[in-house]
Amino acid sequence: MKFKKLAQVLLISGSILALGACSTNKHNGASAMDGSGEGGAMASGVGQGDEFGGTGGAGSRQSLQQRTFYFDYDRSEVREEYRPAINANADFLVAHPNAKVILEGHTDPRGSREYNVALGERRANAVADILRSKGVNPRQIRVVSYGAERLAVSGHSDQDYQQDRRAVIAYMQK
Amino acid sequence: MRKLVAGLFFFLFSLVANQAFALLSMELTRGVSGAVPIAIVPFAVEGQAPSQDMASIISNDLQNSGRFKVLGGDKITSFPSNAGDVQYDYFRRLGADNLVVGKVQEVGPDRYQVQFQLLDVFKGKNAAQSGQQPILLSQKITVSGSQLRALAHHVSDLVYQQITGVKGVFSTRLAYVVVQRSPAVTHYTLEVADQDGYNPRPLLSSTDPIMSPDWSPDGKKIAYVSFENKQSSIYVQDVATGERHLMTQYPGINGAPSWSPDGHKLALVLSKGDTIDQKGTPSIYIMDLGSHQLTRLTKDFNINTEPAWSPDGRKIIFTSNRSGNAQIYQIDLGSRATSRVSYDGKYNARGSFTPDGNHIVMINQGSGMYNIGILDLDSGTLRVLTNSDTDHGSPSMAPNGSMVLFETVYNGRTVLGMAATDGSVQIRLPARNGEVQDPAWSPFLS
Repeated sequence: MKFKKLAQVLLISGSILALGACSTNKHNGASAMDGSGEGGAMASGVGQGDEFGGTGGAGSRQSLQQRTFYFDYDRSEVREEYRPAINANADFLVAHPNAKVILEGHTDPRGSREYNVALGERRANAVADILRSKGVNPRQIRVVSYGAERLAVSGHSDQDYQQDRRAVIAYMQK
Repeated sequence: MRKLVAGLFFFLFSLVANQAFALLSMELTRGVSGAVPIAIVPFAVEGQAPSQDMASIISNDLQNSGRFKVLGGDKITSFPSNAGDVQYDYFRRLGADNLVVGKVQEVGPDRYQVQFQLLDVFKGKNAAQSGQQPILLSQKITVSGSQLRALAHHVSDLVYQQITGVKGVFSTRLAYVVVQRSPAVTHYTLEVADQDGYNPRPLLSSTDPIMSPDWSPDGKKIAYVSFENKQSSIYVQDVATGERHLMTQYPGINGAPSWSPDGHKLALVLSKGDTIDQKGTPSIYIMDLGSHQLTRLTKDFNINTEPAWSPDGRKIIFTSNRSGNAQIYQIDLGSRATSRVSYDGKYNARGSFTPDGNHIVMINQGSGMYNIGILDLDSGTLRVLTNSDTDHGSPSMAPNGSMVLFETVYNGRTVLGMAATDGSVQIRLPARNGEVQDPAWSPFLS
């Protein structure tokens, strides 16, 4: 049996602004394996962290820092307590039309994986809808649902599951 | 839709048993009381000892199927290698109904002639009076050292089919996703291994999630979802060469690829909506693999996902929340008539047909845990195949309809499990490292 090795590397250079308390994915890279066992060289770009200048008072800056929003089991309604934070993010995006966000949707690991992707998308869209209703251009928003594929924690208690059920506003570097 | 030959590294699949251990190992947790007692005598060796213990592989295959009770092991003290040498009284006293004997003979550099016989112990014992032939199977095959393990699985298939009448799955493969978490990064690997967990080979390695592997009907390709570009994409990858093609990468969800039985189409899920600014909802599409043309099957504002084809290719079942919670529906591809299939329990998802087309296996939630259930389409009766003390998911049917592979939680980790579709057997496959999820059982490969 013979095999060819193509030395084309899949380069993914997404990068995410790292800000505040939100931990977001910094690593990207995928390689399909070859038979020689040498593996693929994987380049991955890690985004630069950017500092935001304050766009408002201390209160709105705090709200802007809050970018993870939690949901009830099997639900995608946004809790009222998150409105100020979502509004602060909306205000920022309206004021900075070149800024872009990925709206991530997540679920806890119970049930069916692809159905969870759909449920995660509902959660991300619920937050994105609020942003759009506040005047954010839809082209600044990309919705990605990870379903249960990117759990926040690896445990199986109810508290763990609550941490998993979330939507996250992740700012992209242009 | 562009067809991207991603030009990644080619990957070679060979029968060389590089791995001396299995990534997954099997533990039979519940057997069936009506199992056929069979003795597998260690194969005699002539010349260079082969790298594989044929009798041991065959014993594990048959024992783990739950349909056989393999007798003796170390306790066997008689070692015939062909029918003429067998003392049937000894094996009757051991309790065996059937007996496998064989020999591995080195016939050249890295060439082995393997012969085996499957014998009926009752007929052998009574042969003198009745004249009945005790030999049920007798074969002689010459292979290289690297093919011995595959040959042992083939012998298991032949024995299984001869005695149960059902085609064996010992020469099939499993695809699954391995997840290894560390504080800094999570590694996802799409792997393929023999059905007993041996010879694991990575197909895709990523720091972004991989999900929903689905084998093509000829067993040569796997479709899957990758999040490697910070969005979901559907790829089809050739298992032997590693070459892969990008199938869809629309905004929103690209998910749940499912090969049609004739291998010409892929059912899949997209939520891209009709215009660029419109937010869509997950809908079922069919992509023609020749033209890459998309045909939309569902058009509403509900969640419609997880398409699966009927064996005759005429219907697709899918998961929809149109009645308020996840249930399984069926659409007739000719008439486009849609009807509900599942009624038991408040959540039914990820349905798939058994090979005979008469049953659907799915994730079912009655009131508490998520279980694997099998629905009889004629009677409408649902039977739960797994225990309810933990959650289960991602069921995948063996190509002979005898077992279901699924993921479950054990000691806080996600591992694979198997259950017989008649409810009789359960096996757990604990992973050596990381967690294992989202399995897909290959079709028959030989």
